Amino acid sequence: MIRPRGRMLNTVCSVAHHHFNPSSSLVLPTTTTRSLSLGQPLLQAAKQPPAVVPDNRVELFIDDKRVLCEPGTTVLQAAAMVGVEIPRFCYHDRLSIAGNCRMCLVEVEKSVKPVASCAMPVMKGMRVKTNSVATRKAREGVMEFLLMNHPLDCPICDQAGECDLQDQSMMFGNDRSRFTDIKFEGKRAVEDKNIGPLVKTIMTRCIHCTRCIRFASEVAGVDDLGTTGRGGDMQVGTYVEKLFASELSGNVIDLCPVGALTSKPYAFTARPWEIRKCETVDVMDALGSNIVVNTRGGEVMRVLPRPNEDVNEEWISDKTRFAYDGLKRQRLTLPMLKNAQGVLEPVDWEAALTGIAAKVSRVEGREIAALVGGLCDVESLVVLKDLLNRLGCETLCTEEAFPMNAAGTDVRSNYLLNTKITGVEEADLVILIGTNIRFEAPVLNARIRKAYLHNNLRVAVVGKKTDLHYEYDHVGDTIQALEQLANGEHKLSKDLAKAKKPMIIVGSSSLQDADGAAILANAIVLADKLKSGSSSGSSDHDWKVLNVLHRHAGQVGALDVGYTPGAGKIKELKPRVLYMLGADAGVVTRKDLAADAFVIYQGHHGDAGAEIADAVLPGAAYTEKSATYVNTEGRAQRANVAVTPPGMAREDWKILRALSEFIPGASLPYEKLEDVRHRMADIAPHLLRYGAVEEANYFKQSHALVHGSKRPSHSGRALAPPQTVLEDFYMTDSISRASRTMAKCIQAARHHKTTKYSVS
Amino acid sequence: MNSSTVLRRTIVSAIQQRQLSASLLPRTLHTSTAVRAKSITELQDAPRKSVEEVGLGRVNREKEFPKIILDVKDDITSFNGVPKEHIHERTARIYVPARNTMQSATNNSRTWKLDFDVRERWENPLMGWSSSADPLSNLAVTFSSKEDAIQFAEKNGWNYFVEEPQPVWKFKPKSYGLNFSWDKKTRVSTK
Amino acid sequence: MSLVDKLGNLIRAVKQNGGLFKSIRTFYFTDDLKWGTHVGTDKYGNRYFENNYYFMGRNRWVLFNDAFRLEYDGSQIPPEWHQWMHYTTDKTPIERPPVQHRWMVQHEENKTGSSKDTYYPYSTTRTKIESWMPKNLR
Repeated sequence: MIRPRGRMLNTVCSVAHHHFNPSSSLVLPTTTTRSLSLGQPLLQAAKQPPAVVPDNRVELFIDDKRVLCEPGTTVLQAAAMVGVEIPRFCYHDRLSIAGNCRMCLVEVEKSVKPVASCAMPVMKGMRVKTNSVATRKAREGVMEFLLMNHPLDCPICDQAGECDLQDQSMMFGNDRSRFTDIKFEGKRAVEDKNIGPLVKTIMTRCIHCTRCIRFASEVAGVDDLGTTGRGGDMQVGTYVEKLFASELSGNVIDLCPVGALTSKPYAFTARPWEIRKCETVDVMDALGSNIVVNTRGGEVMRVLPRPNEDVNEEWISDKTRFAYDGLKRQRLTLPMLKNAQGVLEPVDWEAALTGIAAKVSRVEGREIAALVGGLCDVESLVVLKDLLNRLGCETLCTEEAFPMNAAGTDVRSNYLLNTKITGVEEADLVILIGTNIRFEAPVLNARIRKAYLHNNLRVAVVGKKTDLHYEYDHVGDTIQALEQLANGEHKLSKDLAKAKKPMIIVGSSSLQDADGAAILANAIVLADKLKSGSSSGSSDHDWKVLNVLHRHAGQVGALDVGYTPGAGKIKELKPRVLYMLGADAGVVTRKDLAADAFVIYQGHHGDAGAEIADAVLPGAAYTEKSATYVNTEGRAQRANVAVTPPGMAREDWKILRALSEFIPGASLPYEKLEDVRHRMADIAPHLLRYGAVEEANYFKQSHALVHGSKRPSHSGRALAPPQTVLEDFYMTDSISRASRTMAKCIQAARHHKTTKYSVS
Repeated sequence: MNSSTVLRRTIVSAIQQRQLSASLLPRTLHTSTAVRAKSITELQDAPRKSVEEVGLGRVNREKEFPKIILDVKDDITSFNGVPKEHIHERTARIYVPARNTMQSATNNSRTWKLDFDVRERWENPLMGWSSSADPLSNLAVTFSSKEDAIQFAEKNGWNYFVEEPQPVWKFKPKSYGLNFSWDKKTRVSTK
Repeated sequence: MSLVDKLGNLIRAVKQNGGLFKSIRTFYFTDDLKWGTHVGTDKYGNRYFENNYYFMGRNRWVLFNDAFRLEYDGSQIPPEWHQWMHYTTDKTPIERPPVQHRWMVQHEENKTGSSKDTYYPYSTTRTKIESWMPKNLR
């Protein structure tokens, strides 16, 4: 750690002045020993005029612990820096400051009144006492007021056991209240509001912290929630009875510090203390949001977000949170094989694998093809590829297409979200091309909105105009508009070229048909142009511009291990055996195969794939296997087993490994999951570097290839993402299609559209 | 466990104890003389120690009991009586539990936890109660550090993997005033 | 009780059971050999006997229909005879026929342990997983 010398001297001085606690060295710049051990001659430093680095940090003391922090930091944040946690209800790290619950009152020396630490900026020399008599008394008073207006229904409240109010009243509250209902007027009671099929409201429990209101207006970007009335008559709600129409609405359940907003599908089904938690990742979109799957008795009870700054902060989309009931319906639990009459019937594993092996070994390797869906983990993809390659099959495709001209998927940077999700917070311009990011990656959209609010991020959209919950410049609907932008002929071109850190996000949904090549090529050209324009002004030469946003969690993993995007090769080949691994999008039908084709479907849900299959092998869903997923950034993440696969279903790689035993000469050399992971590391070591992003940087080469080849032609159609309105968001894969909750959401969204309160 | 291992272990522990007591010796002597100097009537309670002194802080523990690093790896699998199946076929997971997003307090995410791969649970056909044949399903051990957890797993012969904690929340100064600023988008729209 | 009495009882019992072989058969099936007044036969062909020479508790007994062989069971006694057997009444259903009501169902023996018709409890809980079934099985 090399620091400017002037600062070092300052540090030594400050050490001399203040006797400090070594345990708080976390917040100190350096310690004496550290600066001396750097071995730089101090004398020499004294000779030179010290290069003064303005350390404008404010020094204050929290419970006699010294803290140095940026001016403008609040007392509550400063306390958190030294591990002092101040109780709070309304304050939330990721929301704006409201300062209305008063629970965070602390005593500040020489201040007459207690101070609301969440809103109070730090001042020099402040001495904060977070555990003094006055502080405790203040908290006790606040708690008494809160409980006066809060029902004592913890035994029937879903929040009980993980309730901030419950815990803090145990910790900081008084053991009795002065509230006596002498005139039998009754406690405050508030009518419950119906705000949709996901969030249950019990508004009597509301303590008016306004976290949900702030979340809705700041993060979700819908001003649906608000307050009416004043004082004791204040009510939180949607003003009129309407749907809380947001794809992130479930997060208000987490935010609510009491049981006023709880989960409707989870209501009265489980208690927090009887639940087992499994930290894993989500596969409902390509972001790979970190989640905690809560299970009880081998059943998934609910899904909660797991904070991860680099991916999902603390939010998850409603599909991630509520589609878990889809894991319990339409499941494949028994192996099935078509009998002589051509009818699927349940068989045991041995019969199923023998039957499949007989069909597979009858045809030649090149007549076999594999098609994988969007929810596949890397382990099963690798094992399937190894198995089929051994048989001489090279046609392994993903359902999701990607243009293969120029560099195609040979260059990894072509298909990743290269600036990473956190890049949005540094960027000053985001150009969204052919994506309705609000539904394709709601959590990323929330981050764009955050940057839009706090960093004045500018957003431009190429494609159909949709409500993204922030303002943007609409470049145009069509590919021509994109072409103009790439050629610098658009009226916005000059304006957008000024950006220092531009980001282009191309939605993979727009790259599915023949025009995809043109869209991607133009995006690459535009990225190169913006990059060269920005690097002159920007200090960050490593800034990447081009980003591709995928829709499916398994897509990047499949491309990383060498699958061919798109089913085009299968349609050309007309294979006699098709192995479908979770392929449920219905991209390939019987018509695309040979007349006597044998279709094997391996997956977890009975959906489009299982309907056309001759053999069905029940696999495991994402909560049921230890598996690796690579998100759209190229970040490998590990999913863990929360519950075991139902019935006779097994982990996917094991099924493929077992099948290889039945096919002569194809036996695979793995025994354990570790062996499969070793094989993955042989193919691509980044697949095992969990949590880290393996960056790719071949933009120049990719651009050169695009530049060298002829610019692909296009139909000039409008860029219309498949998901445009809220009801399109809920069902996108085999899990969410099986979910009753998602069906109810669609119903509610459709109904909402017919009411006069719907915005779009 | 063969006799040479036993012997080696005995020697090791003897050395360990001797070194420990040697390191503590001067300190013990010092305190005892200090006590002896006072008459019995003057004896009081021992001076109160601060939480940091007696607490689980690693720094202090290491200061008081200097760590002796031995070249021998502890392995208790040969005599702890755990079935082979639950030694060689289990994978322990060492991680820092995430904060429960339903609550704002962070105390449950400060220690390391070790638990195991999930095995099958089934339900009783009559009442729907769930059963499991996995004795390790309820074993969740908490450690103050990753190293301790790893040592514990190695001692018990389990395979393990470590999940590093998520990157920490970056502090960004927040201001109440932003709610009311005229020229920023952070101005609140809904109340 | 003299040996002569015992011998007399045995002879009477053997005689009533229809000779030596039939007596051995009865003894094999019921582990007992008694003699007494045949007070009646029920609709299933079970014969009921009484002899107050034996003490209370052993003085009323049933010889099940021979067709049951070893597969007899206390629940094969119909309720009206059950009443008499258990001393709820001293009048046999023959002396005082039971009142018949329209709502009375036919007596049925306990089928537990028999190879078929056994009652099996079913799960009262909902299934946690709903399986997909191919079109033909739906």
